[in-house]
Amino acid sequence: MGIAVLLKQVPDTTAKITVSGGRVDEAAVSKWSFSPYDEYALESALQIKEAGGGDLIAVTCGPARAAKMLTDAAAVGADALIHILVDDLGALDTTQVQAILAAAVEHIGADVVFCGKQAADTNAGSTGPGVAHLLDASCVTMVSEVAADGDSFTAIRASAGGNERVAVSSPCVFAFDKGTTELRRPNVRGIMMAKKKIIETMTPADLGVDTGSSSVSIDTHSPPPEKPPGQKFEGAESVATVVGKLRDEANVI
Amino acid sequence: MAYEALDFYDVDSLLTDEERMIRDAVRDWVDENVIPNIEKACRDGVFPDQWRVDLGEMGVLGAPLEGYGCPGLSYIAYGLICQELERGDSGVRSFASVQGSLAMYPIWDFGSEEQKNYYLPKMHAGEWVGCFGLTEPDYGSNPGDIITRAEDKGDHYLLNGTKMWITNGTIADLAIVWAKLDGVIRGFIVEKEDPGFTAPEMTGKHSLKASVTSELVFQDCRIPKDRILPGVEGLKGPFSCLNNARYGISWGAVGAAQSCFSSAREYALSRIQFDHPIASYQLVQNKLSWMLREITKGQLLAFHLGKKKDDGTWTPEQISLAKMNNVDMALEIARMARDIHGANGILDEYPIMRHMANLESVKTYEGTHDIHNLIIGRHITGIQAFTREP
Repeated sequence: MGIAVLLKQVPDTTAKITVSGGRVDEAAVSKWSFSPYDEYALESALQIKEAGGGDLIAVTCGPARAAKMLTDAAAVGADALIHILVDDLGALDTTQVQAILAAAVEHIGADVVFCGKQAADTNAGSTGPGVAHLLDASCVTMVSEVAADGDSFTAIRASAGGNERVAVSSPCVFAFDKGTTELRRPNVRGIMMAKKKIIETMTPADLGVDTGSSSVSIDTHSPPPEKPPGQKFEGAESVATVVGKLRDEANVI
Repeated sequence: MAYEALDFYDVDSLLTDEERMIRDAVRDWVDENVIPNIEKACRDGVFPDQWRVDLGEMGVLGAPLEGYGCPGLSYIAYGLICQELERGDSGVRSFASVQGSLAMYPIWDFGSEEQKNYYLPKMHAGEWVGCFGLTEPDYGSNPGDIITRAEDKGDHYLLNGTKMWITNGTIADLAIVWAKLDGVIRGFIVEKEDPGFTAPEMTGKHSLKASVTSELVFQDCRIPKDRILPGVEGLKGPFSCLNNARYGISWGAVGAAQSCFSSAREYALSRIQFDHPIASYQLVQNKLSWMLREITKGQLLAFHLGKKKDDGTWTPEQISLAKMNNVDMALEIARMARDIHGANGILDEYPIMRHMANLESVKTYEGTHDIHNLIIGRHITGIQAFTREP
């Protein structure tokens, strides 16, 4: 069984983001990481592989810096690494990214795809379903857990009333929400073996994908509006007012 | 905010990708497991057993050793591991230093094949904990005159004596004990179940509180003949071990200093007094600048020493210099950081006084500051100034 895990490298959730020229200033990002939901997908895929065998192929579409993320995936157990080199990922719209990733999955010949439900930077949430559509595969979203039984799978996903258990066969795509287990730490052995794993690098054209031009253009990025200044009260006579506001407006009493 | 370590001269660019990944893995582990729990561990005076398990799983124990399940990492990688562990707490780094450099290393370098195969894989995995018994109540800086003795009784050795200030002693499955056999210092592997051996914990410490410090007591302790380390005689044995540990400490001290600097800088930028952050005042900037200067020098000293360890061109005096300098500067930085934090610096909300108290021990153990000073003095002049005797 071949499992493809789609990984996106995003600014670390603790990194400070600055906006320059209407775009996020990538050069100023101090730390890049796995998109957090992708980590849950990767951990679940690693567990499936450990239980039932198969190859885990980590796939990313992004600029040169994303190669490091693939090495980190190798350090926790990815068997093969695919890097589709795209210098400016932000200039592509989501359908273009889906086309590239779907072509990569077909190139690998994987029957099963794991990914995060949405990337921590763009939060579009459409990659999983879009890739599934292009591959003519089933898609289960908002997954917290997946178990394998031969070529079939059982996924636990959030539903309106709580959780539901879904049975599905390959080919299929699982888009992960927060999973039951955090991504494992790499150990020294994993790190030493990771450096032996070659990253297969290619362009969208190598996969036969003509991305065409983006159907979306982003006018500007801006930070969220500044919080309104707090209200200041002085003197003992204001106590009643403050208590009233805490009870009626802030709902903390 | 994710922790960012001061690296003013970009030592990061001198590292291999593998070394960086190992450093980052240890850094993340410290962030997730040590930082949130260390103050409680320190208050309770315990070394959480889970950390032993985690360090074993991560594969960092006995990092530079080759073979027998060990990873054979570069000494730079070993240094980085120590740096990141000590950024968390000197006690955590002490656990790893003792396990790797003082307990695993002597078996690896001086043990028989049977001993190496039996002990090293278990110790690398963190399943068996080791400790190092050299120092005695009356013999610290003068290890040559230790009085713990071993007698050859034909089918066993009999050990008598006491060791003191032994990190990991009470939790150890084995102890590397240096004792005189017919007047010659030899190494012996004592296991915790051996009759006549006890390892009571030393209590009442104000320093390294999250580390286990013990006495090792041998009263007619019987050990089988195959427990002697065959490959070394004399002080060369323990000193080889200490050189490795001291090297790791020179990096560890940088980690502790980086932690104190990072906290002092953040505090100075956010603490407002007289309507301005205290970071805007000259006396505070002078202190922060001095800290940056010393950390940068210390990093480069440790890094270059690591390169020499890796290519075999190092000398013990070079290790003495790095251990002495880096621990001394780290202790001063911790004190200065406490001053910058003002009254808040005495609370365990900040790591400052914990590092400060720990570094008092680090300054004394593995060769006191003054002893390393005299090692350098002897190197410069050719004249030993340790004792009154010529």
